[in-house]
Amino acid sequence: MSFSRRDILRASIAGAFAAGASTLPTRLLAANKTVKIGMNIPMTGDYAPWGLPGLYGCEIVANDINAAGGVKIGGDSYNIELVAYDHGYDTEKAVQGYKKLVLQDKVKMVMMLGGSTVASVLPWAERRKMLTTTLLPSDITPDSNYLIATCESHPLYNVTGVEYLAEKFPQAKTAAIVTNNDAEYGLQSAATYKAAFEVAGIDVIDVNLHGFDITDFAPIVSSVLAKKPDIFCMATSFYVTPLMEQLYHQGYKGKIISCTLDYYDEIIAKTSREFVDGTIFQFPDFDDPMLNQPGVNFPNPGDFDAKFRKAHPNDWSAVSWEYPAILLNWIEGAKAAGSVEPTAVLKALKSAKNPEFVFGEGQWWGSQLWGQDNAVVGRWPVVVVEGGKARIKEYRSVSGWLAKNKNVLIKHMKELGLRTV
Amino acid sequence: MELVLLSITNGLIQGGFFALFAVGLVLIFGVMGVVNFAHGELVMVGAYTIWLVHAQHGLAYIPALILAILLVTIIGLLMERFLFRPTRNDPLAGLICSIGVLFVLQVAATLVGGEGPSKQVPPPFHGTLVLFDFLRIPYQRLFGLGISALALGALWYFLTRTRFGWALRAVALDRDAAALQGININQISMIAIGVGAALAGLAGGLMAPLTNINPHMGHNVIITAFIVTIVGGVGSLSGAVYAAIIYALFHTFITVYFGGTVATICGLILMVLVLIVRPTGIMGVRVSE
Amino acid sequence: MNRIVTGKLKKILGGLVLLVALLVLPHLLEFHHQDLLIFLTINVLVVSSYRLVTLTGEWSLIHAVMMGVGGYTATLLFKNFELGMWFTLPLAGIVAAMVAGLLCFPLFRMTQFYFLIGSFAAGEAIRLCWIEFVNPFGGTGGLSGVEPPLIGDIDFLEPVPYFYLTLAVVSLCLLILYRIEKSRIGLTLHSVHWKAPLAESVGVDTWRYRALAFIIGSFFVGIAGGLKVHYLGTITPNQFGVGFMVFILIWVIVGGYNRFYGPIIGVVVLTLFDESIRSFDEIRPAIYGAVLILSILFLPMGLESLAARIRHWIGRASAAAGSRMTDG
Repeated sequence: MSFSRRDILRASIAGAFAAGASTLPTRLLAANKTVKIGMNIPMTGDYAPWGLPGLYGCEIVANDINAAGGVKIGGDSYNIELVAYDHGYDTEKAVQGYKKLVLQDKVKMVMMLGGSTVASVLPWAERRKMLTTTLLPSDITPDSNYLIATCESHPLYNVTGVEYLAEKFPQAKTAAIVTNNDAEYGLQSAATYKAAFEVAGIDVIDVNLHGFDITDFAPIVSSVLAKKPDIFCMATSFYVTPLMEQLYHQGYKGKIISCTLDYYDEIIAKTSREFVDGTIFQFPDFDDPMLNQPGVNFPNPGDFDAKFRKAHPNDWSAVSWEYPAILLNWIEGAKAAGSVEPTAVLKALKSAKNPEFVFGEGQWWGSQLWGQDNAVVGRWPVVVVEGGKARIKEYRSVSGWLAKNKNVLIKHMKELGLRTV
Repeated sequence: MELVLLSITNGLIQGGFFALFAVGLVLIFGVMGVVNFAHGELVMVGAYTIWLVHAQHGLAYIPALILAILLVTIIGLLMERFLFRPTRNDPLAGLICSIGVLFVLQVAATLVGGEGPSKQVPPPFHGTLVLFDFLRIPYQRLFGLGISALALGALWYFLTRTRFGWALRAVALDRDAAALQGININQISMIAIGVGAALAGLAGGLMAPLTNINPHMGHNVIITAFIVTIVGGVGSLSGAVYAAIIYALFHTFITVYFGGTVATICGLILMVLVLIVRPTGIMGVRVSE
Repeated sequence: MNRIVTGKLKKILGGLVLLVALLVLPHLLEFHHQDLLIFLTINVLVVSSYRLVTLTGEWSLIHAVMMGVGGYTATLLFKNFELGMWFTLPLAGIVAAMVAGLLCFPLFRMTQFYFLIGSFAAGEAIRLCWIEFVNPFGGTGGLSGVEPPLIGDIDFLEPVPYFYLTLAVVSLCLLILYRIEKSRIGLTLHSVHWKAPLAESVGVDTWRYRALAFIIGSFFVGIAGGLKVHYLGTITPNQFGVGFMVFILIWVIVGGYNRFYGPIIGVVVLTLFDESIRSFDEIRPAIYGAVLILSILFLPMGLESLAARIRHWIGRASAAAGSRMTDG
C-alpha cells in the first residue's frame, strides 16, 4: 500500500472528526454506492462486552466516514453500511447469522469475535469465499484461507506486559497464573504467559484453572496466595473483577498483571485506587496521549474516545476500538485493490509484506503455530493503571519476541494440549 | 495449615448462604410437595433488587435488603396462588410451571439489568477483620454469615414455638391428616412459600455485594440447593442446615485443591450416591409419593 | 371389507402426499428456513425418542445430555479416526445407549421425584465433564471441524441434500420407534406406567422395562446428536444444557404425549411459533415460559387432544352428512 493513499484516508477522516460530525449522518451523498459490512457478534449474553462495544465503535467511525462523503474505492464512492447480527455466542446462531449476512444481506466482509463461533462458520467462509475477520488468531487453521486477524493478536501480545514487568521489577521472581479452563481464551493466554515468564527468567509456581459460573473466588485465591507468588497473573480470565476483589481482601501486596482489565473503575470501587494502581495490562483508553504518536494508524483517537463515552457511557471495553481498527484496515485493503470484492481485498491485504495495522507496521504471521500467515503482529502497548487511570507506558515488539522465542511458545502450547501445526 | 483454616472459614460462610436457600426449597417441597425449579431465580431477583435500588439508585443497604425480601416474597405468593394451588394434585405440573417462571424471571432480569457484563455491587461494609495475622475475613462476609444465622434461628423459633409453625410441620408430615384437623391447607401453603421465598430473597440480597450478578446466577444456586436438600434429607429442615454446612466445606476444600468444576461434579455424584444408598438423606423422613 | 381397504388406502395416500410435500418443501424455502427445517426434523426424532422413555411414566431430565453423548461420540470418532457418517451415526447411538445402560443401575433405584432430580444430577455431571476436561472434549468452546459426507458430486453441507439425508434417517428411526410401541414391548411399557403393581404381579420385571425404554430412547437421541453435529460442524456443552432439556419438555407437554404423534405436533407447532416471534428475541424465553404455564393449566392433554377433538368433529360431521345422503 502506498504512503500517499494512507495519508489521504487519514486526512479525510481526520477532517470529518475535526468538523465535529455528529454520530448520525446528516446527509449522505446520494450519488454514492453502498458497501455492506457484516458483524456477526455477541450483542447479548456473557460475551456481549466483547461484541457490542465493537459495533458502537464501528458505528461512530462509519458515520464519520459517510458524513465526510464516503470512501473512494476503485473510482467509485462508497458509503459504509454496517449490518449486525447477534449470535449471543451460540454456535448455531453464529452459523445462521453468517449465512444471513452473506446470502441475504450480501455483505462484503464479516467481522467476528472469535472462538467456537468462528470455527462453526469456517466451512461456509471457504465455500462462499467470504472474507472473515477474527480477534483471535488462534482460530486460524491450515485450511481457512479466508480468515484473517488484522488487529488483535491474542494471545501473542501478552508477552509485552511480561517483558515490561521483568525489566522494571527485576526483584519479582515467581509468578502464579489464574485463568479459565477453556481452549480459546484462558489456556491460550496461560501458555503465552508461561512462555513469556520462562524467557524472562521468572518461575511459574502455579497454574490454577478455574471453571465458569463460579460464585466464590475466595478459596481459589487463597490456595494460590498460599504459595506466595511475587506476581499474580490473571491471563485472560473472565473474572478479573472478583479475583481482584479477593486479592485485595486477602491482603496481596505483589505485582498484578492481566490481559484485560475491563471496567477497572468498578474494580477500584470494590477495592481501592491504591490497590489497583500499578496493575499491568494490554488495553488502553483511547484518550491516551501516547496514541497520538506517529505510527499509530487510528485517526483522532481522543475524539473517538470522547464520542464513544458520550454516546455509550458505561460500555467501553477492550474491543471498542478493535473492530473499528479492522474496518479501517479493510478500507485500506479495498482501496489498494480498487474493489470491494472479498477475494480482491484479501489478496491486496495479504500481498503487503509489511502490512499496516493499528499500532504501526506489522508482519503476517502464524504458519508456525496455526498453519497460515493470516495474523498481523507488530508492536503492542503496555498499559499500567496510574492514579486510577489506564496509561500506556510504552510499546513493545511482539514480532521481535516471536522471532527470538517462538519455539518456547510452541512448546508451552503443546504442553497445555492446544492445537498447533 | 493456614490454608486449611482459611478454607474452613470460607466454607462456613458459604454454608450460611447455602443453608438459607436450601431451607427455603425444603420448606416448599415439604409442605406443598412441589419442587420449585425457580428457586435459584428467586435468589437472583433478590440480588438484582439490591443492584437496582442500592447500587444504581442509592437507597441504603438495609432498606434495600428489606425491599428485596418483600419483592421475592410477593413473587413466591403469586406463584403459590396462581400456579401451585391449581396444580396441587399433580406435582409434576407444578414443577413444570416453576420452570416457566424460571424463564420469565431470567428475561425480566435481562430487561431490568440490560445485557453486558455481570453487575457488581460495591460492598456497603468495607474493611477486613484480621485474626492471627493471616485469617482475613471481609466484614461484608461476616455480616452475611451473621444475618444468615439470625434468619435460621428465627425460622427455628417460628417452626417450633408458634402455632403456624406447628401447622406447617403437620402439613409436611401428612397433609390429609392436617386438613382433617381443620388446618387450612391453602393458608399454610402460602405461609410456607412466603417464608421460603423470603429466605431466598434474603440470600440473594446478602450475596449481592459478594458475587457476580447476572441472569444465569440461579443455575448454580438450584444445583447447590438440590444437592444440599437431597443429602440433608428431603423434608428435613435441620438436615438441610447440617448438609449445607457440610457440603459448603466439601465444595470449598475440593475447589482449593482441584478446582471449582471438579467440586461441583463431585457434589453431583455425591447426590446421586445418596439417592441410591439412602434416599431419605441424613435426616430425612420418608415422603409419601 | 371395502371400509378397511379404503381406510388403508387413505392412510397410504396421506403418507404419500406428506412425503411429496416434504421432498418439495426445502426448495420453496429460503436457506435460513431450510436450516431450520433440518433442525426441526432432528428435533422430531429427539421428542419421539423422549416419548418412549416417558411411556413408563418416568420423566427423566437427562435426555438432552444423551443427545450430547451421541454428538460428542460422533465428533470424536470423526476427528480422531476419520470415520464417515455411516459409522459415526450408529456408533453415536450405541455409545449413548451404553451410557444409558450404565446409568440404569444407579438411576432406576429411584422413582418419581427422586428419579427426576437424580437424572438431572447425572446429566449435569456429564455435561460438566465436557466443560472440565478440555482434553478430549474441548471445554466450553467445544470441538469443531466435523464434516458431512461428500458423495460423488453432492456436497452434503448444502441444506437441501442434508435435509433429504436427515429425513431418510429420521423416518427410519420413527418407523422403528412406532413399531416398538405397537409391539408387545410397547404394551408392556404401558402396563408398567399405568398399573405397575399389577404388572409386577404377573411377573413383569418393571425395572427391566424401564431400563429398556431408557436405553432405546437414548439410542435414538444419540443418533439425533450425530445428525446435528455433522451438519453444524461444531459441538459445545451448552447446546445440551437445561435450556434444551426444557425445550424438549415443552414440546412434549404442549404437544401431548398420549399418542405417538403428540410430541411431533408439539415440536412442529412450537418451532413455527418460535420463528414467528423471532423479532422478540430478547423476551423469547419468557414467552416460552408463559406458553408452558398456560399449557399446563389450560390444555393439560396437549395439542394432540385438540387434534383428536377436531378429527372427532369432522368424523361426526361427515357421518351426519353421510346419513343425510343415504336418507335423501
